[in-house]
Amino acid sequence: MSMQKAVDNSRSSNAGLSMDNQEKLLADALQNVRQHAFAMKRVLDQQSVMEGLKHAANMLGELRTSLLSPKNYYELHVVVVEELHHLELYLTDEFEHGRGSHDLYEVVQYAGNIVPRLYLLITIGHVYIRANELPRREVLRDLVEMCRGVQHPLRGLFLRNYLLQCVKSLLPDTEEENQEATKTGTILDSLDFILLNFSEMNKLWVRMQYQGHTRDLQRREQERRELRILVGTNLVRLSELECVNVERYKTIVLPKIMEQVVSCRDSIAQEYLMECIIQVFPDEYHLNTLNEFLKACRELSASVNIRNILISLIDRLTAYSTRDGSQQNIPENIQLFDIFSEQIAEVVKSRINMPPEDIVALQSALLNLSLKCYRDQFEYGNKVLENTRKIFDNIALDTQVQTGTPAAKELVKMLKIPIDCYDILDVLKLNHYKLVLQLLSYRERHTVCMYIINSILDKETIIPTAEQVTQLFELLLTLIIDQTDSPLETSRQTITNEDFVEEQNLVARLYNNFQAPNDPDQQYHIIKICQDTFKNGGLERMRFTYPPIIMQAYALTFRYKNIREQDEKWEKKCQKLFQLCNQLINTLTKLETNDLPLRLYLQGALAASEIGSENAETIAYEFFSQAYTLYEEQAGDTRAQSASLTLLIGTLEKVTCFAEENHSTLRQSLTQAATRLVKRPDQVRTLLLCTHLFWSAQRLNESTQKSEQVHDNEKVLACLKKATKLTTQIMDQSVQVQLYNELLNTYIYFFNQNLPDIDITLLNSLIEKLQNEMSKISSNENDEFIRNQIQKTFDYLRQQSQLEKFQGLQINN
Amino acid sequence: MDLLGLGSKVDIDFLLDPQGQRKQIEVKLDDNTNKRILQYIYYDGEDVGGTVQIKLKKNSKVEHQGIRLEFIGQIEMLNDRSTVHEFINLSKLLAFPGELTENTSIDFHFPNVEKPYESYIGINVKLRYFLRLTIIRRFTNTVCERDICVQQLSQYPEINNSIKMEVGIEDCLHIEFEYNKSKYHLKDVIVGKIYFLLVRIKIKHMEIAILKKESTGSGPNIYAETETIAKYEIMDGAPVRGESIPIRLFLGGYDLTPTMKDVQRKFSVRYFLNLVLVDEEERRYFKQQEIVLWRKQEKVKQKNSAKQYAHFEPPNPAIKPEDSATGISGSENSPVYGPSSSGNNSDSTSD
Repeated sequence: MSMQKAVDNSRSSNAGLSMDNQEKLLADALQNVRQHAFAMKRVLDQQSVMEGLKHAANMLGELRTSLLSPKNYYELHVVVVEELHHLELYLTDEFEHGRGSHDLYEVVQYAGNIVPRLYLLITIGHVYIRANELPRREVLRDLVEMCRGVQHPLRGLFLRNYLLQCVKSLLPDTEEENQEATKTGTILDSLDFILLNFSEMNKLWVRMQYQGHTRDLQRREQERRELRILVGTNLVRLSELECVNVERYKTIVLPKIMEQVVSCRDSIAQEYLMECIIQVFPDEYHLNTLNEFLKACRELSASVNIRNILISLIDRLTAYSTRDGSQQNIPENIQLFDIFSEQIAEVVKSRINMPPEDIVALQSALLNLSLKCYRDQFEYGNKVLENTRKIFDNIALDTQVQTGTPAAKELVKMLKIPIDCYDILDVLKLNHYKLVLQLLSYRERHTVCMYIINSILDKETIIPTAEQVTQLFELLLTLIIDQTDSPLETSRQTITNEDFVEEQNLVARLYNNFQAPNDPDQQYHIIKICQDTFKNGGLERMRFTYPPIIMQAYALTFRYKNIREQDEKWEKKCQKLFQLCNQLINTLTKLETNDLPLRLYLQGALAASEIGSENAETIAYEFFSQAYTLYEEQAGDTRAQSASLTLLIGTLEKVTCFAEENHSTLRQSLTQAATRLVKRPDQVRTLLLCTHLFWSAQRLNESTQKSEQVHDNEKVLACLKKATKLTTQIMDQSVQVQLYNELLNTYIYFFNQNLPDIDITLLNSLIEKLQNEMSKISSNENDEFIRNQIQKTFDYLRQQSQLEKFQGLQINN
Repeated sequence: MDLLGLGSKVDIDFLLDPQGQRKQIEVKLDDNTNKRILQYIYYDGEDVGGTVQIKLKKNSKVEHQGIRLEFIGQIEMLNDRSTVHEFINLSKLLAFPGELTENTSIDFHFPNVEKPYESYIGINVKLRYFLRLTIIRRFTNTVCERDICVQQLSQYPEINNSIKMEVGIEDCLHIEFEYNKSKYHLKDVIVGKIYFLLVRIKIKHMEIAILKKESTGSGPNIYAETETIAKYEIMDGAPVRGESIPIRLFLGGYDLTPTMKDVQRKFSVRYFLNLVLVDEEERRYFKQQEIVLWRKQEKVKQKNSAKQYAHFEPPNPAIKPEDSATGISGSENSPVYGPSSSGNNSDSTSD
């Protein structure tokens, strides 16, 4: 009878596998299951065990089908197992009330068909163990052996899964010493049980791959992936046994698992199971079995993605070792790094066709491990980098990794690891880092360099020595000098290219992190290094990179001055710095704009003046005159010219180191320059500024070696008069009014300074003039600003008019 | 039987076990009604004794020429009722000629009766033991028979080797199978395994069947019947090389008798294990192997439910022997056995 059924199955199997049919088949099967289950429960209610078993067997007969897809078979299995649970509960209950039959374990074995028979046997076995009806150890052994009878992959997998599920709470988990152990079994029996079940399930699972048409291969692999959890559950169960310790894991569990994994030679299984092992067992186990595990890795099938497996393991151990922020988790006797390093090398060697990106990814994981687990042992990280470089050199010496390839991407990822977990100073200790970086093509190198700089800036890492700066520059060379393999034409490396600007701004900002806090000489070295390096970068880069050097150099002179008591050569050193700056600024004068070098020169003059060293005046004069020359050359752009002149005037007013001779030359030149400006308003304004050069500006009294203010009344007045005269010549009334106001302000200033020849009367006449002129201009919106300015002046005067000094001041309005 | 109505005067009853200590067994009657009756079990050399009760009806009298009691063991050929072969006939005169006037009980005793064979009811042959009481009358004797069941207990076989054999079809299938014994008692368990050395065919499943072969007659008139007592699936799906499939088959649940060889040169009953592999195209590959069954003295414990359960998936009694239709059945001990087409084998007609 049963045979006949099998014939039917095979005849309809072609139609059965079509998808439309599946739902109907499942529905039919479920319907049958429910009917039998219902009958089973009914007779069980009437205490008829034998009848119950018969119905259960009929129900289980539905699991003999070959027609359902794995997914639908699973659905069916779930329902059947659920119904089977009723039987189990009933029998358990019988035993609890002392009514259980003692021969059911034999009875159910008369079932003619193996699938229902084994499901029943497992169920009864489960009940019997719980009721102490049969020795646990023997039943477990028997069940797992008998299940060999089901060689059909799908049915076998689900059957064994049911077995595993049933014995879940029954597996002996005790040590051997126990007297009772011979009956109930020990942990060793549990291990035998699960390991056997595991290998059998795995074999069944692997076998699915080779059954059926090759055209269905993809679908089959998909189905296999859906089923993998069934196999993996065995490993989970193993990991849940308390009596499994490191020793047992190492001597029994892992070797057995590995034997199966390796011998099945199936890549889907190998990938999944290795991953599974890594995830389900505790870190300590992995630590103690690294060699075994990794050795097995080498024996895996060539199509296995070994990279993911190894990375997964390394990542897991890395996370473990750094958990709780301590590095104590790795026992000292386990040379984690050495083991991984050697084994990975072996793996790479054994797989000739391994793509470079995979190799790099492995090295990345290793690097990550070495950096995180052995923070202080730079030689490890270095070794990884060295190996990586070697690997590429072996493929093709001195060849760059083509941009955009997976390998290049992996290398970038790899190079970012040390940056992320170290600060740059430690990265610099990895002297092979640079060599790996050089493997990359321009675009990737650029990415990494930018990443490095951003990291330094974000972390505000201070780089304190010239040596480190040198090393850093070696890393960042891509950004510092023109690259032969740059895809961009050099013409694009200019200030008009936003990316370039951003990049160079970063490089420039980096400079602020080069600081030798307590060692000015070191700082000097840094400056020299920077100069030496940046000078190769081309003018377009210097625009960005030189100013910070120069400013740093100025700052350094102040530091030398501060320690002049300790360092008798300080003046010489300052001198050198200024010379350096002069040279640098001079280079910058080749740029199309004079503004930057001009400002830098002026800053230099100021610095020299502040330092006040022996030859400060010479330096300052040199700088100032250079600035002035630049100003002179600036002809053409009137606005820029007047702005520059303003700067020059302002600077001269502040510089204190000039003796009369130089000072007068300069102030005269500036005043003349003011009058030579093209626009009247510019002339007036700069002249007004020049007044200060004759008043509050300081010069060095050569006899006293002290600076004093110029206080040249006549010249001040001359300037003022000249300015007044020029103002009257202005055609645009609103501008004129504005200038009158500014004029008045200057007069008020000098009145306050008690300049002779400026009295209330003069002020009054100016006020009157201003008021007159103001009434002439039409009141439109543009002038609102001017009115406000003037109003403020008057407000001030009204306030001052209370003072004795301002008596007689006449303000109308 | 009582053609003249005389028999109605007498009711005869055998009291074989007044203390109720003797075991009884349900025996299937041979009249195809599936009725079963209880019979007492006797063993070889045991006394057969008891009491015959003769009850008279309506105060009648029965005149007789003597009352004789016989203990008979005989072999009947069911297809030829005329052939009855008695191999034992013990006779006792219980009463001399006289008249029975009242209900009478007569004790009898056959000491140490030799019962060399096991009771057997087969397809073509029946071996039975019975007591026959004959009240000898002038016209028609009044006869009453009472069957007993004889079971032949055997000693543990001195030699009981396992059956182990490598068989196969070249470049197609090689297996090694092993049954743990060659001789099994009736409540025994067959334990064994099949080891697959080479699998190039797509096997769908594998089963093991217990075949009972009854042969009767001799010379040209041999009748052979094969009956499938049990059919037991031991493997589902296709194994690969290196798989080892366990066998465990409990015999207690099936209707089995001890192996009987050439009983009185009249018949033999032999048992075979038939290992059958079925491939996806329904071709069958099989190997038969004789096993000897023997009866062991039973332990006190009885397992009733086993039998009960075994019948819920009864081996279909209508199944005809498989080898009757198949071609290349391997002869005994032959390493080769072949496929048989599914078309004309019994399974397709078994519905």
